[in-house]
Amino acid sequence: MSDKGEVLFQIRDLCKAFGSNLVLDHISTEIRSGEVVVIVGPSGSGKSTFLRSLNLLEIPTSGTISFEGMNITDKNTDINKYRQKIGMVFQHFNLFPHKTILENLTLAPIKLLKKPMGEAEKEARELLARVGLEEKEKAYPSQLSGGQKQRIAIVRSLAMHPEVMLFDEPTSALDPEMVGEVLNVMTDLARDGMTMVIVTHEMGFAREVGTRILFIDEGVIKEENKPAAFFENPSNPRLKEFLSKII
Amino acid sequence: MRAVPCLHEYLAKAAGSRAPPQLAKGFAYNLTRHAGLLDGSPAGQREGCEGVEEFKLKFYTNFIKDDRYMYLVKGLGNTLAITFLAVLLGIVLGFLVAIIRSTHDKTGKGKIANMICQVYLTVIRGTPMMVQLMIMCYVVFGNYNISKLIVATLAFGINSGAYVAEIVRSGIMSIDQGQLEAGRSLGFGYAQTMWYIIMPQAFKNVLPALANEFIVLLKETSVCGYIGMMDLTRGGDIIRSRTYEPFMPLIGVALIYLVMVMVLSGLVGKLERRLRTSER
Repeated sequence: MSDKGEVLFQIRDLCKAFGSNLVLDHISTEIRSGEVVVIVGPSGSGKSTFLRSLNLLEIPTSGTISFEGMNITDKNTDINKYRQKIGMVFQHFNLFPHKTILENLTLAPIKLLKKPMGEAEKEARELLARVGLEEKEKAYPSQLSGGQKQRIAIVRSLAMHPEVMLFDEPTSALDPEMVGEVLNVMTDLARDGMTMVIVTHEMGFAREVGTRILFIDEGVIKEENKPAAFFENPSNPRLKEFLSKII
Repeated sequence: MRAVPCLHEYLAKAAGSRAPPQLAKGFAYNLTRHAGLLDGSPAGQREGCEGVEEFKLKFYTNFIKDDRYMYLVKGLGNTLAITFLAVLLGIVLGFLVAIIRSTHDKTGKGKIANMICQVYLTVIRGTPMMVQLMIMCYVVFGNYNISKLIVATLAFGINSGAYVAEIVRSGIMSIDQGQLEAGRSLGFGYAQTMWYIIMPQAFKNVLPALANEFIVLLKETSVCGYIGMMDLTRGGDIIRSRTYEPFMPLIGVALIYLVMVMVLSGLVGKLERRLRTSER
Protein backbone atom coordinates (compact mmCIF):
# COMPACT_ATOMS: atom_id res chain seq x y z
CA MET A 1 0.00 0.00 0.00
CA SER A 2 1.29 3.40 -0.91
CA ASP A 3 2.05 5.31 2.26
CA LYS A 4 3.03 8.57 0.63
CA GLY A 5 0.43 11.08 -0.31
CA GLU A 6 -2.48 12.30 1.76
CA VAL A 7 -5.66 10.29 2.06
CA LEU A 8 -8.20 11.39 -0.58
CA PHE A 9 -10.97 8.84 -0.13
CA GLN A 10 -11.85 7.31 3.20
CA ILE A 11 -14.46 4.61 2.63
CA ARG A 12 -16.14 2.99 5.65
CA ASP A 13 -18.57 0.08 5.66
CA LEU A 14 -19.92 0.97 2.24
CA CYS A 15 -23.03 -1.04 1.41
CA LYS A 16 -25.21 -0.90 -1.67
CA ALA A 17 -28.30 -2.98 -2.22
CA PHE A 18 -30.55 -3.13 -5.27
CA GLY A 19 -33.78 -4.36 -3.74
CA SER A 20 -32.84 -7.41 -1.73
CA ASN A 21 -29.65 -7.96 -3.72
CA LEU A 22 -26.65 -6.82 -1.68
CA VAL A 23 -24.06 -5.73 -4.25
CA LEU A 24 -21.53 -4.08 -1.93
CA ASP A 25 -21.10 -5.63 1.49
CA HIS A 26 -19.35 -3.42 4.03
CA ILE A 27 -16.43 -2.26 1.93
CA SER A 28 -13.80 -0.23 3.76
CA THR A 29 -10.61 1.12 2.24
CA GLU A 30 -8.79 4.34 1.58
CA ILE A 31 -7.30 5.87 -1.54
CA ARG A 32 -4.34 8.19 -1.30
CA SER A 33 -3.24 10.99 -3.56
CA GLY A 34 -1.09 9.76 -6.45
CA GLU A 35 -2.24 6.16 -6.23
CA VAL A 36 -3.33 4.16 -9.26
CA VAL A 37 -5.81 1.70 -7.81
CA VAL A 38 -6.89 -1.05 -10.16
CA ILE A 39 -10.05 -2.97 -9.30
CA VAL A 40 -10.48 -6.43 -10.78
CA GLY A 41 -13.03 -9.13 -10.24
CA PRO A 42 -15.56 -11.33 -11.98
CA SER A 43 -18.58 -9.69 -13.62
CA GLY A 44 -21.39 -8.96 -11.20
CA SER A 45 -18.95 -8.73 -8.32
CA GLY A 46 -19.84 -5.12 -7.57
CA LYS A 47 -16.60 -3.52 -8.80
CA SER A 48 -18.38 -1.08 -11.15
CA THR A 49 -20.93 -0.27 -8.46
CA PHE A 50 -18.08 0.51 -6.08
CA LEU A 51 -16.43 2.81 -8.61
CA ARG A 52 -19.72 4.56 -9.41
CA SER A 53 -20.36 5.08 -5.69
CA LEU A 54 -17.21 7.17 -5.52
CA ASN A 55 -18.86 9.98 -7.51
CA LEU A 56 -22.34 9.14 -6.29
CA LEU A 57 -23.72 7.85 -9.57
CA GLU A 58 -24.84 5.13 -7.19
CA ILE A 59 -26.09 6.38 -3.83
CA PRO A 60 -24.80 4.07 -1.08
CA THR A 61 -27.42 2.27 1.00
CA SER A 62 -25.29 2.67 4.10
CA GLY A 63 -21.74 3.52 5.10
CA THR A 64 -19.76 6.66 4.45
CA ILE A 65 -17.36 7.97 1.84
CA SER A 66 -15.29 11.00 2.71
CA PHE A 67 -13.26 12.93 0.21
CA GLU A 68 -10.50 15.16 1.61
CA GLY A 69 -12.11 14.84 5.01
CA MET A 70 -15.57 15.87 3.81
CA ASN A 71 -18.38 13.37 4.07
CA ILE A 72 -19.82 13.26 0.56
CA THR A 73 -22.57 10.81 1.44
CA ASP A 74 -24.05 13.49 3.67
CA LYS A 75 -27.29 14.90 2.27
CA ASN A 76 -26.08 18.49 2.54
CA THR A 77 -23.06 17.98 0.32
CA ASP A 78 -23.14 19.90 -2.95
CA ILE A 79 -22.88 16.86 -5.21
CA ASN A 80 -22.36 18.93 -8.37
CA LYS A 81 -19.45 20.87 -6.90
CA TYR A 82 -17.93 17.61 -5.65
CA ARG A 83 -18.27 15.87 -9.01
CA GLN A 84 -16.35 18.67 -10.72
CA LYS A 85 -13.28 17.39 -8.90
CA ILE A 86 -13.84 13.79 -9.96
CA GLY A 87 -13.33 12.85 -13.61
CA MET A 88 -15.22 9.85 -14.91
CA VAL A 89 -14.61 7.76 -18.02
CA PHE A 90 -17.28 5.28 -19.09
CA GLN A 91 -17.19 2.00 -20.95
CA HIS A 92 -19.40 3.43 -23.69
CA PHE A 93 -17.63 6.81 -23.91
CA ASN A 94 -20.87 8.82 -23.61
CA LEU A 95 -19.59 11.70 -25.70
CA PHE A 96 -22.24 14.27 -26.58
CA PRO A 97 -23.21 13.34 -30.15
CA HIS A 98 -24.80 16.71 -30.96
CA LYS A 99 -21.62 18.65 -30.22
CA THR A 100 -18.29 18.81 -31.99
CA ILE A 101 -15.20 17.39 -30.31
CA LEU A 102 -14.08 20.87 -29.30
CA GLU A 103 -17.54 21.64 -27.87
CA ASN A 104 -17.49 18.35 -25.98
CA LEU A 105 -14.31 19.51 -24.28
CA THR A 106 -15.32 23.11 -23.63
CA LEU A 107 -18.97 22.70 -22.57
CA ALA A 108 -18.32 21.97 -18.89
CA PRO A 109 -15.40 24.41 -18.39
CA ILE A 110 -17.39 27.26 -19.94
CA LYS A 111 -20.70 26.56 -18.20
CA LEU A 112 -19.43 25.29 -14.84
CA LEU A 113 -16.04 26.91 -14.33
CA LYS A 114 -17.19 30.08 -16.15
CA LYS A 115 -14.06 30.13 -18.28
CA PRO A 116 -14.05 32.56 -21.20
CA MET A 117 -14.64 30.77 -24.50
CA GLY A 118 -11.21 31.58 -25.92
CA GLU A 119 -9.35 30.30 -22.90
CA ALA A 120 -11.44 27.11 -22.75
CA GLU A 121 -10.81 26.45 -26.44
CA LYS A 122 -7.11 27.06 -26.13
CA GLU A 123 -6.90 24.62 -23.29
CA ALA A 124 -9.06 22.10 -25.13
CA ARG A 125 -6.72 22.23 -28.12
CA GLU A 126 -3.74 21.58 -25.87
CA LEU A 127 -5.53 18.56 -24.44
CA LEU A 128 -6.41 17.32 -27.92
CA ALA A 129 -2.77 17.66 -28.95
CA ARG A 130 -1.79 15.65 -25.88
CA VAL A 131 -3.82 12.66 -27.16
CA GLY A 132 -2.88 13.28 -30.81
CA LEU A 133 -6.36 14.28 -31.98
CA GLU A 134 -5.90 18.00 -32.59
CA GLU A 135 -7.09 17.70 -36.19
CA LYS A 136 -10.45 16.28 -35.03
CA GLU A 137 -11.67 19.36 -33.18
CA LYS A 138 -14.39 20.10 -35.73
CA ALA A 139 -15.48 16.48 -36.13
CA TYR A 140 -18.52 14.97 -34.43
CA PRO A 141 -18.22 11.91 -32.17
CA SER A 142 -19.90 9.64 -34.73
CA GLN A 143 -17.02 10.30 -37.12
CA LEU A 144 -14.43 8.86 -34.73
CA SER A 145 -13.30 5.32 -34.01
CA GLY A 146 -13.91 3.77 -30.60
CA GLY A 147 -10.35 4.36 -29.47
CA GLN A 148 -10.49 7.99 -30.56
CA LYS A 149 -13.81 8.48 -28.77
CA GLN A 150 -12.39 7.10 -25.54
CA ARG A 151 -9.31 9.33 -25.77
CA ILE A 152 -11.67 12.30 -26.25
CA ALA A 153 -13.73 11.15 -23.27
CA ILE A 154 -10.59 11.12 -21.15
CA VAL A 155 -9.54 14.64 -22.12
CA ARG A 156 -13.12 15.86 -21.73
CA SER A 157 -12.83 14.90 -18.07
CA LEU A 158 -9.34 16.36 -17.82
CA ALA A 159 -10.62 19.71 -19.06
CA MET A 160 -12.28 20.12 -15.66
CA HIS A 161 -8.92 19.66 -13.88
CA PRO A 162 -10.13 16.82 -11.69
CA GLU A 163 -8.19 15.67 -8.64
CA VAL A 164 -9.10 12.05 -9.24
CA MET A 165 -9.97 10.12 -12.40
CA LEU A 166 -12.34 7.17 -12.33
CA PHE A 167 -12.32 4.67 -15.20
CA ASP A 168 -15.18 2.20 -15.60
CA GLU A 169 -13.92 -0.54 -17.94
CA PRO A 170 -12.57 2.04 -20.40
CA THR A 171 -11.33 -0.51 -22.94
CA SER A 172 -14.08 -3.14 -22.74
CA ALA A 173 -16.12 -1.75 -25.63
CA LEU A 174 -13.11 -1.33 -27.93
CA ASP A 175 -11.77 -3.40 -30.80
CA PRO A 176 -8.60 -5.14 -29.60
CA GLU A 177 -6.37 -3.05 -31.87
CA MET A 178 -7.64 0.16 -30.26
CA VAL A 179 -7.09 -0.87 -26.66
CA GLY A 180 -3.42 0.12 -26.77
CA GLU A 181 -3.95 3.75 -27.73
CA VAL A 182 -6.33 4.27 -24.80
CA LEU A 183 -4.09 2.47 -22.31
CA ASN A 184 -1.15 4.61 -23.47
CA VAL A 185 -3.06 7.77 -22.63
CA MET A 186 -3.93 6.34 -19.23
CA THR A 187 -0.32 5.30 -18.62
CA ASP A 188 0.88 8.84 -19.42
CA LEU A 189 -1.72 10.20 -17.05
CA ALA A 190 -0.52 7.90 -14.28
CA ARG A 191 3.10 8.93 -14.91
CA ASP A 192 2.03 12.57 -14.51
CA GLY A 193 0.92 11.71 -10.99
CA MET A 194 -2.85 11.67 -11.47
CA THR A 195 -4.76 9.75 -8.81
CA MET A 196 -6.68 7.07 -10.65
CA VAL A 197 -9.20 4.36 -9.80
CA ILE A 198 -9.64 1.91 -12.64
CA VAL A 199 -12.00 -1.01 -13.16
CA THR A 200 -10.52 -3.11 -15.94
CA HIS A 201 -9.86 -6.56 -17.29
CA GLU A 202 -6.48 -5.55 -18.73
CA MET A 203 -4.20 -7.46 -16.36
CA GLY A 204 -1.01 -6.47 -18.15
CA PHE A 205 -1.90 -2.82 -17.70
CA ALA A 206 -2.89 -3.39 -14.07
CA ARG A 207 0.42 -4.96 -13.32
CA GLU A 208 2.48 -2.36 -15.12
CA VAL A 209 0.73 0.87 -14.16
CA GLY A 210 -1.20 0.05 -10.99
CA THR A 211 0.25 0.89 -7.59
CA ARG A 212 -2.30 -1.27 -5.81
CA ILE A 213 -4.78 -3.88 -6.93
CA LEU A 214 -8.13 -4.69 -5.32
CA PHE A 215 -9.88 -7.97 -5.97
CA ILE A 216 -13.60 -7.58 -5.39
CA ASP A 217 -15.89 -10.59 -5.36
CA GLU A 218 -19.44 -10.93 -4.02
CA GLY A 219 -19.34 -7.29 -2.92
CA VAL A 220 -16.32 -7.76 -0.67
CA ILE A 221 -12.66 -6.82 -1.14
CA LYS A 222 -11.23 -10.31 -0.98
CA GLU A 223 -7.62 -9.30 -1.50
CA GLU A 224 -5.55 -6.17 -2.05
CA ASN A 225 -1.87 -5.93 -2.70
CA LYS A 226 0.88 -4.36 -4.75
CA PRO A 227 0.78 -5.63 -8.34
CA ALA A 228 3.77 -7.96 -8.24
CA ALA A 229 2.64 -9.71 -5.06
CA PHE A 230 -0.98 -9.67 -6.21
CA PHE A 231 -0.23 -11.63 -9.35
CA GLU A 232 2.59 -13.81 -8.08
CA ASN A 233 1.43 -14.78 -4.62
CA PRO A 234 -2.35 -14.62 -4.51
CA SER A 235 -3.58 -15.99 -1.20
CA ASN A 236 -7.37 -15.95 -1.59
CA PRO A 237 -8.60 -19.16 -3.26
CA ARG A 238 -11.24 -17.27 -5.22
CA LEU A 239 -8.55 -14.94 -6.57
CA LYS A 240 -6.32 -17.89 -7.51
CA GLU A 241 -9.18 -19.38 -9.48
CA PHE A 242 -9.95 -16.00 -11.10
CA LEU A 243 -6.33 -15.43 -12.13
CA SER A 244 -5.94 -18.95 -13.48
CA LYS A 245 -8.95 -18.36 -15.73
CA ILE A 246 -7.93 -15.07 -17.21
CA ILE A 247 -4.16 -15.31 -17.53
CA MET B 1 -55.12 31.38 -75.71
CA ARG B 2 -58.39 32.86 -76.67
CA ALA B 3 -59.92 32.52 -73.25
CA VAL B 4 -57.98 35.41 -71.90
CA PRO B 5 -59.42 38.19 -74.06
CA CYS B 6 -62.86 36.65 -73.62
CA LEU B 7 -62.69 36.95 -69.89
CA HIS B 8 -61.19 40.37 -69.90
CA GLU B 9 -63.95 41.69 -72.07
CA TYR B 10 -66.50 40.00 -69.93
CA LEU B 11 -65.05 41.37 -66.75
CA ALA B 12 -65.00 44.86 -68.15
CA LYS B 13 -68.65 44.58 -69.11
CA ALA B 14 -69.73 43.00 -65.88
CA ALA B 15 -67.92 45.53 -63.78
CA GLY B 16 -69.40 48.38 -65.77
CA SER B 17 -72.97 47.23 -66.00
CA ARG B 18 -73.35 45.20 -62.76
CA ALA B 19 -75.60 42.97 -64.80
CA PRO B 20 -77.34 40.09 -63.01
CA PRO B 21 -75.16 36.94 -63.12
CA GLN B 22 -77.44 34.95 -65.41
CA LEU B 23 -77.53 37.71 -67.96
CA ALA B 24 -73.86 38.32 -67.82
CA LYS B 25 -73.22 34.62 -68.19
CA GLY B 26 -75.21 34.45 -71.40
CA PHE B 27 -73.44 37.47 -72.65
CA ALA B 28 -70.09 35.88 -72.02
CA TYR B 29 -71.08 32.74 -73.90
CA ASN B 30 -72.13 34.76 -76.89
CA LEU B 31 -68.94 36.67 -76.76
CA THR B 32 -66.92 33.50 -76.72
CA ARG B 33 -68.75 31.95 -79.59
CA HIS B 34 -68.44 35.13 -81.52
CA ALA B 35 -64.74 35.38 -81.02
CA GLY B 36 -64.37 31.73 -82.01
CA LEU B 37 -66.23 32.25 -85.24
CA LEU B 38 -64.16 35.23 -86.18
CA ASP B 39 -61.01 33.24 -85.80
CA GLY B 40 -62.49 30.29 -87.61
CA SER B 41 -61.27 27.86 -85.02
CA PRO B 42 -62.67 24.31 -84.87
CA ALA B 43 -65.73 23.57 -82.78
CA GLY B 44 -63.88 21.38 -80.26
CA GLN B 45 -61.64 24.21 -79.27
CA ARG B 46 -64.62 26.44 -78.81
CA GLU B 47 -66.15 23.87 -76.47
CA GLY B 48 -62.91 23.89 -74.44
CA CYS B 49 -63.01 27.63 -74.29
CA GLU B 50 -66.54 27.48 -72.95
CA GLY B 51 -65.46 25.12 -70.15
CA VAL B 52 -62.63 27.41 -69.22
CA GLU B 53 -64.95 30.39 -69.42
CA GLU B 54 -67.44 28.76 -67.10
CA PHE B 55 -64.66 27.98 -64.65
CA LYS B 56 -63.46 31.54 -64.76
CA LEU B 57 -66.93 32.80 -64.27
CA LYS B 58 -67.38 30.63 -61.20
CA PHE B 59 -64.03 31.81 -59.97
CA TYR B 60 -65.14 35.34 -60.45
CA THR B 61 -68.48 35.02 -58.69
CA ASN B 62 -67.01 33.11 -55.77
CA PHE B 63 -63.84 35.01 -55.13
CA ILE B 64 -63.64 38.32 -56.99
CA LYS B 65 -67.18 39.62 -56.94
CA ASP B 66 -68.00 41.84 -53.94
CA ASP B 67 -64.42 41.19 -52.72
CA ARG B 68 -65.48 37.75 -51.50
CA TYR B 69 -61.88 36.58 -51.34
CA MET B 70 -61.62 38.78 -48.27
CA TYR B 71 -63.58 36.12 -46.36
CA LEU B 72 -60.77 33.72 -47.12
CA VAL B 73 -58.04 36.26 -46.34
CA LYS B 74 -59.59 37.14 -43.00
CA GLY B 75 -60.29 33.51 -42.25
CA LEU B 76 -56.76 32.52 -43.16
CA GLY B 77 -55.42 35.26 -40.89
CA ASN B 78 -57.42 33.86 -37.99
CA THR B 79 -56.44 30.27 -38.78
CA LEU B 80 -52.76 31.22 -38.85
CA ALA B 81 -53.03 33.31 -35.69
CA ILE B 82 -54.76 30.54 -33.74
CA THR B 83 -52.34 27.91 -35.01
CA PHE B 84 -49.25 29.98 -34.26
CA LEU B 85 -50.33 30.99 -30.76
CA ALA B 86 -51.60 27.48 -29.97
CA VAL B 87 -48.30 25.98 -31.14
CA LEU B 88 -46.41 28.27 -28.75
CA LEU B 89 -48.70 27.42 -25.87
CA GLY B 90 -48.59 23.73 -26.81
CA ILE B 91 -44.78 23.70 -26.85
CA VAL B 92 -44.51 25.41 -23.47
CA LEU B 93 -47.12 23.15 -21.87
CA GLY B 94 -45.87 20.06 -23.64
CA PHE B 95 -42.22 20.49 -22.65
CA LEU B 96 -43.20 21.31 -19.08
CA VAL B 97 -45.36 18.20 -18.75
CA ALA B 98 -42.79 16.04 -20.54
CA ILE B 99 -40.01 17.17 -18.20
CA ILE B 100 -42.15 16.60 -15.10
CA ARG B 101 -43.17 13.15 -16.34
CA SER B 102 -39.73 11.98 -17.44
CA THR B 103 -38.11 13.31 -14.27
CA HIS B 104 -40.64 11.28 -12.34
CA ASP B 105 -39.96 8.22 -14.51
CA LYS B 106 -36.21 8.52 -14.05
CA THR B 107 -35.85 9.64 -10.46
CA GLY B 108 -39.25 9.05 -8.83
CA LYS B 109 -39.44 12.72 -7.78
CA GLY B 110 -42.54 14.90 -8.12
CA LYS B 111 -45.29 12.35 -7.52
CA ILE B 112 -48.09 14.91 -7.17
CA ALA B 113 -47.02 16.98 -10.18
CA ASN B 114 -46.82 13.77 -12.19
CA MET B 115 -50.33 12.81 -11.13
CA ILE B 116 -51.71 16.20 -12.21
CA CYS B 117 -50.00 15.73 -15.57
CA GLN B 118 -51.49 12.25 -15.92
CA VAL B 119 -55.00 13.60 -15.36
CA TYR B 120 -54.38 16.38 -17.88
CA LEU B 121 -53.16 13.93 -20.52
CA THR B 122 -55.99 11.47 -19.95
CA VAL B 123 -58.73 14.09 -20.12
CA ILE B 124 -57.38 15.97 -23.10
CA ARG B 125 -56.51 12.92 -25.14
CA GLY B 126 -59.71 11.16 -24.18
CA THR B 127 -62.19 13.77 -25.40
CA PRO B 128 -62.82 15.23 -28.86
CA MET B 129 -61.15 18.51 -29.74
CA MET B 130 -64.44 20.05 -30.79
CA VAL B 131 -66.07 19.29 -27.44
CA GLN B 132 -63.06 20.81 -25.65
CA LEU B 133 -63.34 23.91 -27.79
CA MET B 134 -67.03 24.34 -27.03
CA ILE B 135 -66.51 23.69 -23.32
CA MET B 136 -63.77 26.34 -23.32
CA CYS B 137 -66.09 28.82 -25.05
CA TYR B 138 -69.48 28.16 -23.48
CA VAL B 139 -68.61 26.68 -20.08
CA VAL B 140 -65.24 28.04 -18.99
CA PHE B 141 -65.63 31.49 -20.54
CA GLY B 142 -69.39 31.31 -20.90
CA ASN B 143 -69.99 34.29 -18.65
CA TYR B 144 -67.10 36.40 -19.82
CA ASN B 145 -66.97 38.62 -22.83
CA ILE B 146 -63.59 37.54 -24.06
CA SER B 147 -62.06 37.51 -27.52
CA LYS B 148 -62.83 34.31 -29.41
CA LEU B 149 -59.27 34.29 -30.62
CA ILE B 150 -58.05 33.89 -27.04
CA VAL B 151 -60.62 31.19 -26.33
CA ALA B 152 -59.62 29.22 -29.40
CA THR B 153 -55.90 29.69 -28.72
CA LEU B 154 -56.32 28.37 -25.18
CA ALA B 155 -58.42 25.41 -26.28
CA PHE B 156 -56.09 24.39 -29.10
CA GLY B 157 -52.92 25.12 -27.13
CA ILE B 158 -54.02 23.06 -24.15
CA ASN B 159 -55.08 20.28 -26.48
CA SER B 160 -51.85 20.34 -28.45
CA GLY B 161 -49.77 20.45 -25.25
CA ALA B 162 -50.98 16.99 -24.28
CA TYR B 163 -49.82 15.47 -27.55
CA VAL B 164 -46.55 17.43 -27.58
CA ALA B 165 -45.91 16.22 -24.01
CA GLU B 166 -46.07 12.57 -24.96
CA ILE B 167 -43.95 13.13 -28.07
CA VAL B 168 -41.26 15.00 -26.14
CA ARG B 169 -41.33 12.51 -23.28
CA SER B 170 -40.69 9.66 -25.69
CA GLY B 171 -37.81 11.71 -27.08
CA ILE B 172 -36.29 12.26 -23.64
CA MET B 173 -36.66 8.61 -22.71
CA SER B 174 -35.01 7.57 -25.97
CA ILE B 175 -31.73 9.28 -25.03
CA ASP B 176 -29.22 6.85 -23.56
CA GLN B 177 -28.94 6.95 -19.78
CA GLY B 178 -25.17 7.32 -20.26
CA GLN B 179 -25.69 10.88 -21.54
CA LEU B 180 -27.29 11.88 -18.26
CA GLU B 181 -24.51 10.16 -16.32
CA ALA B 182 -21.82 11.81 -18.41
CA GLY B 183 -23.36 15.23 -17.82
CA ARG B 184 -23.83 14.65 -14.11
CA SER B 185 -20.32 13.26 -13.65
CA LEU B 186 -18.85 16.43 -15.18
CA GLY B 187 -20.65 18.38 -12.46
CA PHE B 188 -23.78 19.53 -14.28
CA GLY B 189 -26.97 19.53 -12.22
CA TYR B 190 -30.02 17.60 -13.38
CA ALA B 191 -31.66 20.65 -14.95
CA GLN B 192 -28.42 21.77 -16.65
CA THR B 193 -27.84 18.29 -18.04
CA MET B 194 -31.37 18.29 -19.38
CA TRP B 195 -30.95 21.68 -20.97
CA TYR B 196 -27.47 21.38 -22.48
CA ILE B 197 -27.27 17.67 -23.24
CA ILE B 198 -30.54 15.71 -23.19
CA MET B 199 -33.03 18.20 -24.66
CA PRO B 200 -31.11 19.17 -27.81
CA GLN B 201 -30.78 15.49 -28.72
CA ALA B 202 -34.36 14.63 -27.76
CA PHE B 203 -35.68 17.58 -29.76
CA LYS B 204 -33.82 16.44 -32.85
CA ASN B 205 -35.22 12.92 -32.49
CA VAL B 206 -38.83 14.03 -32.15
CA LEU B 207 -38.80 16.84 -34.70
CA PRO B 208 -40.69 14.85 -37.38
CA ALA B 209 -43.37 13.75 -34.90
CA LEU B 210 -43.59 17.29 -33.53
CA ALA B 211 -43.98 18.75 -37.02
CA ASN B 212 -46.70 16.26 -37.74
CA GLU B 213 -48.53 17.31 -34.58
CA PHE B 214 -48.46 20.94 -35.69
CA ILE B 215 -49.72 20.06 -39.14
CA VAL B 216 -52.60 18.21 -37.50
CA LEU B 217 -53.20 21.26 -35.31
CA LEU B 218 -53.32 23.59 -38.31
CA LYS B 219 -55.99 21.45 -39.92
CA GLU B 220 -57.86 20.89 -36.70
CA THR B 221 -58.45 24.63 -36.25
CA SER B 222 -61.08 24.18 -38.97
CA VAL B 223 -63.63 23.40 -36.23
CA CYS B 224 -63.38 26.99 -34.99
CA GLY B 225 -66.63 27.77 -36.78
CA TYR B 226 -68.45 25.97 -34.01
CA ILE B 227 -67.77 28.81 -31.59
CA GLY B 228 -68.62 31.40 -34.22
CA MET B 229 -65.09 32.30 -35.22
CA MET B 230 -64.34 33.03 -38.80
CA ASP B 231 -61.40 30.85 -39.73
CA LEU B 232 -60.44 29.76 -43.22
CA THR B 233 -63.02 26.97 -43.36
CA ARG B 234 -65.77 29.23 -42.10
CA GLY B 235 -64.74 31.89 -44.60
CA GLY B 236 -65.19 29.43 -47.43
CA ASP B 237 -68.52 28.39 -46.01
CA ILE B 238 -69.78 31.97 -45.94
CA ILE B 239 -68.94 32.31 -49.61
CA ARG B 240 -70.80 29.06 -50.32
CA SER B 241 -73.88 30.40 -48.54
CA ARG B 242 -73.76 33.55 -50.71
CA THR B 243 -73.23 31.91 -54.09
CA TYR B 244 -75.05 28.60 -53.48
CA GLU B 245 -72.11 26.98 -55.13
CA PRO B 246 -70.00 24.49 -53.16
CA PHE B 247 -67.24 23.58 -55.60
CA MET B 248 -65.17 26.74 -55.79
CA PRO B 249 -65.06 27.84 -52.15
CA LEU B 250 -64.55 24.35 -50.73
CA ILE B 251 -61.88 23.29 -53.22
CA GLY B 252 -60.28 26.68 -52.81
CA VAL B 253 -60.15 26.31 -49.04
CA ALA B 254 -58.81 22.75 -49.37
CA LEU B 255 -56.06 23.97 -51.71
CA ILE B 256 -55.02 26.71 -49.30
CA TYR B 257 -54.73 24.18 -46.45
CA LEU B 258 -52.81 21.83 -48.71
CA VAL B 259 -50.34 24.50 -49.76
CA MET B 260 -49.76 25.57 -46.15
CA VAL B 261 -49.15 21.99 -45.06
CA MET B 262 -46.77 21.39 -47.96
CA VAL B 263 -44.80 24.53 -47.19
CA LEU B 264 -44.62 23.56 -43.51
CA SER B 265 -43.49 20.03 -44.34
CA GLY B 266 -40.86 21.43 -46.67
CA LEU B 267 -39.51 23.78 -44.00
CA VAL B 268 -39.37 21.02 -41.40
CA GLY B 269 -37.59 18.74 -43.85
CA LYS B 270 -34.98 21.42 -44.39
CA LEU B 271 -34.51 21.99 -40.66
CA GLU B 272 -34.27 18.25 -40.09
CA ARG B 273 -31.57 17.84 -42.71
CA ARG B 274 -29.62 20.72 -41.20
CA LEU B 275 -29.76 19.21 -37.73
CA ARG B 276 -28.81 15.78 -39.08
CA THR B 277 -25.61 16.97 -40.73
CA SER B 278 -24.05 17.12 -37.29
CA GLU B 279 -24.40 13.40 -36.80
CA ARG B 280 -23.69 11.34 -39.82
